[in-house]
Parts: sequence; C-alpha cells; structure tokens
Amino acid sequence: MKRLARSIAPHLVLVVFSAIIVLPLLWVVRVSLTDKLTAYKIPPEIGSIGSMNYSAIFTSYPFTTWFFNSLIVALITTMIALPLATALAYVFARWNTGGVALRLGVLASQMLPPIILVLPLFAMFLMAGLMQSRISLIIAHLTICLPFLSWMLVSFFEGDVARLEEAARVDGATRWQAFIKIAVPVAAPGLLAAGLLGFILSWNEFLFALVLSGPDTQTLPVGLAGLETHAGVEIAPLAAATVVSLLPVFLLLPFLRKHLIKGLSLGALK
Amino acid sequence: MIESAHALTLTDRRDRRFGWLMASPSLALLFLVILFPVFWAFYTSLHDYTLISPNFDTFTGSANFIKAAEDGQFRHSLWLTTFFVVAVVLLEFLLGFLVALALNKVERFKAIYYAILLCPLLMNPVIVGLIWRMFLHPNLGIVNYLLSVVGIAPVNWLGSTKIAIWTVIMVDIWHQVSFMIVLLLAGLSALPREPYEAARVDGASPLQCFWRITVPLMRPVIIVTLLIRLIFAVKTYDLIYIMTRGGPGISTDFISYFIYRTAFVSLNIGEASAMSIILLGIILALTVYLYRYMRSLT
Repeated sequence: MKRLARSIAPHLVLVVFSAIIVLPLLWVVRVSLTDKLTAYKIPPEIGSIGSMNYSAIFTSYPFTTWFFNSLIVALITTMIALPLATALAYVFARWNTGGVALRLGVLASQMLPPIILVLPLFAMFLMAGLMQSRISLIIAHLTICLPFLSWMLVSFFEGDVARLEEAARVDGATRWQAFIKIAVPVAAPGLLAAGLLGFILSWNEFLFALVLSGPDTQTLPVGLAGLETHAGVEIAPLAAATVVSLLPVFLLLPFLRKHLIKGLSLGALK
Repeated sequence: MIESAHALTLTDRRDRRFGWLMASPSLALLFLVILFPVFWAFYTSLHDYTLISPNFDTFTGSANFIKAAEDGQFRHSLWLTTFFVVAVVLLEFLLGFLVALALNKVERFKAIYYAILLCPLLMNPVIVGLIWRMFLHPNLGIVNYLLSVVGIAPVNWLGSTKIAIWTVIMVDIWHQVSFMIVLLLAGLSALPREPYEAARVDGASPLQCFWRITVPLMRPVIIVTLLIRLIFAVKTYDLIYIMTRGGPGISTDFISYFIYRTAFVSLNIGEASAMSIILLGIILALTVYLYRYMRSLT
C-alpha cells in the first residue's frame, strides 16, 4: 500500500500541475472559437462555435502587418546575431580572447535591464532619424540576442572539437579553415538551437518594440497590447490572436528541446 | 629547444591576433549598441535633458541623482522590485523543485508532462498578461466565476492595492516556474546513482536521502538556476505594463515601469537616466558579486 502511494504521489503532483498549465490555454482556445457575446457570458455557455474570430483578426485589425513586422525583425536580428555570436563564442572557448574581463563584460550586458538601454537608443535613433523604423528595432534586439547567444554558444565549442581542430591544423589547415570546416559543422545542432532561441527572444520582445516602433512597424506584442487598450476588452478576437501568435513558437519547439537547457542557462549548466 | 619555445610564442601571438580578429565585429557592435548608449545615459544624467528641450545646454552635475535618491516613489519602486524578485525566485524554486523531483521519479507520461510544462515558458509575456487579465476580470472573468461555484466571494484581483502585487506574483509563477523545472530536472537526471544505492543498503529513509544526498549534490545547479532567474526577474516589465500599469496607485510600480514613466510620461530623460545609472550600479555590483561567488563554488 505504501509503495503504491509512493509511486502515485509524483503523478498526482504532475497531473495537478499540468492541469493548472493546460486548462487556461484550453480556455483561450475555447474563447477564440465563440462569438463575441458568448465569450462574455458568465456562467459560460457553449453557444455557437466557429472560426469567425480568426478571419476577423485578419480583416478588422492590421494583424498581418504586425505578424510580418515581427517575422522580419526576428529573422534579420537572428541572421546578424548568430554568425557574430558564433565567432565571439568560438574565440572565448578556444583562446580565451580578452580574458575574464571581456567575458564578464558580455555577461553583464546580458543582465542589463532593457529599460537602461531604451532611453539612449531612443534618443540616438531620434537624432539619426531612424525612429519608427524596422532597422531601429533590429539594432535594439541585437543588444539582447548577441550577448545571449554568445554566452550560450561558448559551451558548444568546448571539449572534443578542439582536438579535431588540432589534428586538422597539423595536417596544414589554417585557423580559419579549422573554424569553418570543423568547429562550425560539429557545433551545428547547437547553432541551430541558438538561432531558434534568438528568434524567439526577438519575437517575444516588448519594451524596445513599444518605444521604438511606429504605427507601420508595430510588432505582434505591441499590436496585441494596443488591441486590448483601444477596443476595451474584446476578448474573443484577442484569444484568436493569442492562438495565432503562439503558433510559430510552438512549431519551433521540437527542434529546440534537446538544447533548451543550454539556452536557458546561458551554457552555465552542461 | 630555444627555437621551439620561440615558435610557440609566435603561434601564441598569431592565435591571439586571430582571436581578436574574429571577435572584433561582435565587439564593435556591442560597443556601439550597448557601451556607447550606457555612456550616453551617464552623460545625460548629468544634464537637464527633457523631451521638451532635448539638449545638453544645462549641466546640472549630481542634481538628477540627488533628486532621484530623495524621491520616495523611486525608493518605493526599488523596494517593491526587490520584494517581487525575492518572492518569485523563492516560490518558483520551491514549486519548481517539487515538480522536478516528481518528474524525475516517473517514467510513464514523462514526455507529455514535459511538453506541457514547456508551453508557458515559450509564451510571450504580453500574451500571458493579456489572457490572465481576461481570466481575472472581477465580473466577467472565469476565475471569480469558478470561485463562486465553490462558494468563495469574488476577489478584486488587479484592482486592490493589497492583492494586485500577489496577483502579479502568481501570474509570473504560472509563466516562469517551468524555467526552474527544466534546469533543476537537468541537474537531477545527471546525479550519480551510487550514493542512493549505498544509502538504501544502510537503511536511510527517502527523506534522509533527499536532505543528505540530493540537496548537497544539487547545490551548484540550484545556485546557477536561482541566479539566472533572479537576473531575469529584475527586468520584469511586460507583465506590469499589460496587467496593472503600476497600479492600482503605485502598488505594483516596479523599477523598470517607474523609469519608463519618468522618461515617457514626465518626459524627464535626465532624471530617468540618473535612475537607470543607479539601477545599473546595483546590477553591476550584483553581477560581480555573483560571478565571484559562482567561481568560488567550482
């Protein structure tokens, strides 16, 4: 009896915990499928079910623009941050370039609350005439992605890769060849995971996008936040928008799971 | 012998040069988008710079800093942020450790549980704030309805100065506890089996095993997890902007939101910069201290 209780107890904890996570999400899906009036009914009614909210967000709100802006900014940010961070992480791992001080500096910049950077960036973009442009958003998101990816990637270049490179160097490969032909392919899964996390960081970023974007360059989080304030609590379309904006991130999840821990812990846990 | 030593230093020097060459694009960019803005903030904090007259004509020295330090609301928001950070880190750790231990024990359905707990982690904080605002609406929200079904009086989740901060803490736990679980589970699954087998032979109870084996072995992982979560919790901004706008009153006015208001509502960039610099000082001191502490452990 006691053994049975011991084997069931963990499942009990996990089922309760999973329910607390899943039920709100299912409720959002449910609200997204009801019409506006039913969405507000307390106590809840089943009402009519349909996809009208999903078509409504594309016709009545500039949802496509927000989605497209988020996609462009996140893609370009990742495309710039990933190669740069790869090079930086590689030299940190291989030659300890810049020593502890430089590494600590990059770590510290990862800890900076965005509110500290947003004021000067706002003033700088204002002076440069870049306010409300996608370029300003990309630059701002690089301040988050570049240090994060650099830290995460260092651990992918430590360990056995170094010996493979040494062997190649003995065979006459240059340092650059050892990096591009050996280190990068060996670390490729890590690079892919880092790229995906960089994409998600940019995709989910809010403060920079709020301050630096204009009506035409609003990203999805900024657009959704505005949707809520302008239209009161239009919860049915909001729920539909929520579901759609979660899709890209969840589509990326399977590719990411294996390396998620390194990403979350900035490589500090191996 | 001498020649090989000479060759070594030559290779060393070439390695070093190559290292700096590869690092230089990233470092240049980091300098431009992080270090330079921080200096700009420092320079601005010494001037009377507002969005109405955005210029450096009036040098005010430490006036902005003195004003910030004497500002009761600024100190309030620093204190409130500290309270929030300590609360969420501790509560998320305790709950996260419990779930991670349970997850480490089970074999069946483990993949399903794991997939479920990853969901909130990848969600946008703006969306988390929006859906919980919807659930917690005093009259139209599902939470108060469910409470009424079991006979509990409705709660004014976001409209009460006493409850709002705890509501934000609860929503943050819902959103971020998975972070703790993922990292702690990684640590737990990497623990060696031998100490547990030896302890079982010696007749140790599960509770003894936990306190005498699991906790000591997990110490480094626990510390890293707490530190990283702490760093991210200090930045909390999105949830506040969406759920409470610092309110009701100033009961959830965290530091990031307070600086935002000073800059973009009061339009006083100089004073907001001074507050940023004070915050930066605190974060840097914390970083150096924590980094030393982490190194002393390994």
